[in-house]
Amino acid sequence: MSNGDPVVETNDLTKVFGEFTALDRLTISLNRGQILGFIGPNGAGKTTAIKILVGLMRPTSGSARIAGADCVRDARRIKRLVGYMPDRFGSYDNMRVREYLDFFGAVFGIARRERAKRINEVLETTGSTYMQDRFVESLSHGMQQRIGVARTLLHQPEVLILDEPANGLDPDARIEMRELLVRLAASGKTLIVTSHILPELSRICNIVAIITRGKLRVFGPLEQIMRTIRQRRICEVQLVDSSELEQARTTLVEALDETERPTITVIESESLLRFQSSRDDRDLAALLAHLVDRRVAIAQFREVPTDLEDAFLSVTREEKQEAEVVAK
Amino acid sequence: MNPIVSREFFGTLRMPRALAALIVLACAFSLLVLARWPSDAIVDLSGGQSRQVFRVFAYGMMVGILLLVPAFPATTLVRERIKGTLELLLNSPLHPFSIYAGKFAGLLLFAILLLLTSVPAAAACYAMGGLDLSRDLGAVYLTLAVLMLECVALGLLVGTVAQSPDAAVRLTYGLVFLIACLTPGPYYLLQGQPGLLTALAYWLRRLSPLPVIMHLVGDGGVGGQGLMESGSGAGEYVLVSLAFTGSVLGLTLFRLNHRLFDRSRSQGKITEEQPLAIRAARRVMFLVDPQRRKPGIPFYLNPVMVKEFRTRRFGRLHWLLRLVAACAALSLLLTLAATTGTMDWGVETIGGMMVMLQVFLIATITPSLAAGLVSSERESGGWDLLRMTTISGFRIATGKLVSVLWTLLLVLLATAPGYAVMMVIKPAMWLQVQLALACLLMTVVYTLSISAAVGSCFAKTAASTVTVYVVLMALFLGPLLVWLGREAPFGPTVVQNALLINPLGAALSVMKMPGFERFELIPGCWWASGGASLAALSVYFFRIWRLTWPL
Repeated sequence: MSNGDPVVETNDLTKVFGEFTALDRLTISLNRGQILGFIGPNGAGKTTAIKILVGLMRPTSGSARIAGADCVRDARRIKRLVGYMPDRFGSYDNMRVREYLDFFGAVFGIARRERAKRINEVLETTGSTYMQDRFVESLSHGMQQRIGVARTLLHQPEVLILDEPANGLDPDARIEMRELLVRLAASGKTLIVTSHILPELSRICNIVAIITRGKLRVFGPLEQIMRTIRQRRICEVQLVDSSELEQARTTLVEALDETERPTITVIESESLLRFQSSRDDRDLAALLAHLVDRRVAIAQFREVPTDLEDAFLSVTREEKQEAEVVAK
Repeated sequence: MNPIVSREFFGTLRMPRALAALIVLACAFSLLVLARWPSDAIVDLSGGQSRQVFRVFAYGMMVGILLLVPAFPATTLVRERIKGTLELLLNSPLHPFSIYAGKFAGLLLFAILLLLTSVPAAAACYAMGGLDLSRDLGAVYLTLAVLMLECVALGLLVGTVAQSPDAAVRLTYGLVFLIACLTPGPYYLLQGQPGLLTALAYWLRRLSPLPVIMHLVGDGGVGGQGLMESGSGAGEYVLVSLAFTGSVLGLTLFRLNHRLFDRSRSQGKITEEQPLAIRAARRVMFLVDPQRRKPGIPFYLNPVMVKEFRTRRFGRLHWLLRLVAACAALSLLLTLAATTGTMDWGVETIGGMMVMLQVFLIATITPSLAAGLVSSERESGGWDLLRMTTISGFRIATGKLVSVLWTLLLVLLATAPGYAVMMVIKPAMWLQVQLALACLLMTVVYTLSISAAVGSCFAKTAASTVTVYVVLMALFLGPLLVWLGREAPFGPTVVQNALLINPLGAALSVMKMPGFERFELIPGCWWASGGASLAALSVYFFRIWRLTWPL
């Protein structure tokens, strides 16, 4: 495998349980050192995709390769290439952290002396050296997550697959986890991270895959996705007095075109009108002037910054509308 | 009405295992009565047939309650604590007493339902004649009702102590069997002697329903040496057991409050980081210091086996040494007490008792170690982590099995001094002891393979532990129930065949234990239990192979 080849590659990956399609022709590819943010609502097919990638599940059709190894045929090689941290920690009672890591090092067949060295390294990398003598079950959730990452690093895998690593972490622990993941990517590891905390994910990932109902909806670099989403800007008009909301709404309906009109939402409690528009700055200025001409007292006129959350919501909303159309 | 009563009762009824327990009991008792229901025109005026059925019926009911009732109260509080609903209940306006009373009543209602499944069979038994409604049936039902109260109270108490459902199940079964089977022990060693110790032993045995039931069905008492007792002791049993249940209830109520959650996390003290004086003291006090940092797992050991030892509550070396020492001391004490006591029991009886104690120990320890080998791993999420490593399914399976096998062999070896004393007393028993030890070894393999196979079919440890206990007890106690009816209703051929699946029976027949000496069970029993063990091991290895494969 040459340096330019993708490290993770799936091709029309499909998994069907009876009549239910959990994963529908997933095709993605990922290069060395990249962090993929794998996003989707509950039951979207993220964990199914991950389980196929790590060799815990067989696909119904399609293929998946990690560093050139087939996820079905080369299951043993895959285990050496991938470090997987499931959303459940998988703790053992009455075991100290060091013993826990030693056990996993031993099952990977790492020699005792080398194992001790690697345990020290991964404890240091994850900032967990101080808890090496603590019992695993007595650790807090954040500490367990760090030990989980340490465990995945023990056998020096090329690819790390982390299922909800920030789940249940306090803000401090979340920042630490974020920094740790960025450090790992910088050291040449390729990461696939699922999370429901999208602002967190947007800060670390450079590739995003949004999946709903088993289908890949969006895949590509984060900036590119943001650019696509930003084509429809979200604007807000805040009024001085909520009694003018109806007048302002009527004025907006007159000024906006057919595609923009249905996006208007009125938030009475905040004296706010929100709408989506694909106009440029000059056209938006004209729209503001039109509102002022109609003597609507405006406190603020602003564009809502778009983030990964908006991208996700936009995709899932579109998907819902599509599903409704199909149902009708 | 207390809302917890209905939730507990109907919640228990909704469990598939509860339904299974009800059906199994009802079918077993119906079949028993059907087997001896008079089919010809000759009337049995003596009531002999009825008493034969009553005998097996009473023992069967007692075993049924001992096997089925403790599982439900043992897990209820632990489950609530783990799921977080106990916090909600304690935070509600309900007083802890109401919570406890609700749970107790709900579980008791279910236990009564279990008891009611035997009523049609009991009625049929009564209709066959020869039984007194109050002195026979009434006394048995009263004894069993008190036993149910004891089991429910003990299970709930254990629920406030144990940290996981399977630990609660293990501890409850251990305590229930200890009370039912071992509390009569000291009295049978001391009976006939004057003194406070004998009086204490007399009242201690009143905690167990076994002597009462034995008396009611006309079997005297285990180890009775011809000393006659005036009554069945049912009244004394009811009094002592109710007092015991009351104290257990009080202790549970004392523990059922915020203190259940008031536990600090272990800080992971390590000897290497202690001051020099403490380090020196620990070196003197501990043969194996549990707080010393362990070296890495060496290449020649199966890491799964080492992990199994380390993660077991009593699996660390210092605990194993204590267990072995306790077993050795117990076997020596038993042998010495019996040989120097006032009664001449004969070496055969002592040997038989030792064999029974060892089988009891093996049958109690094995399920607690082997039932959760796979299910606990699946439950904790560790199984997926193991599947993600390069270790093969075969090494996982053998590592887990060997970890239990070593523990059991250590326990077995620890009782060797007792047999040595026996052979010093009667050297001619050398061959018998050898055969008995071979039978015990077979018991270890048999219980281990069946526990591992049955346990591997479950995803939840508590369910697997209960099922394994029930299966093993059925395999060990079932043939003994048949043996009780060796004259009638079953006859020697049926008993001989039934005992073939029970290595305990073979060991007792080798030791020429009274009642077993006429059965020739070797090598038939070895073939039967060996075959069953092989089949069970195949199931276990197949399950592990299947579980390590991608879905």
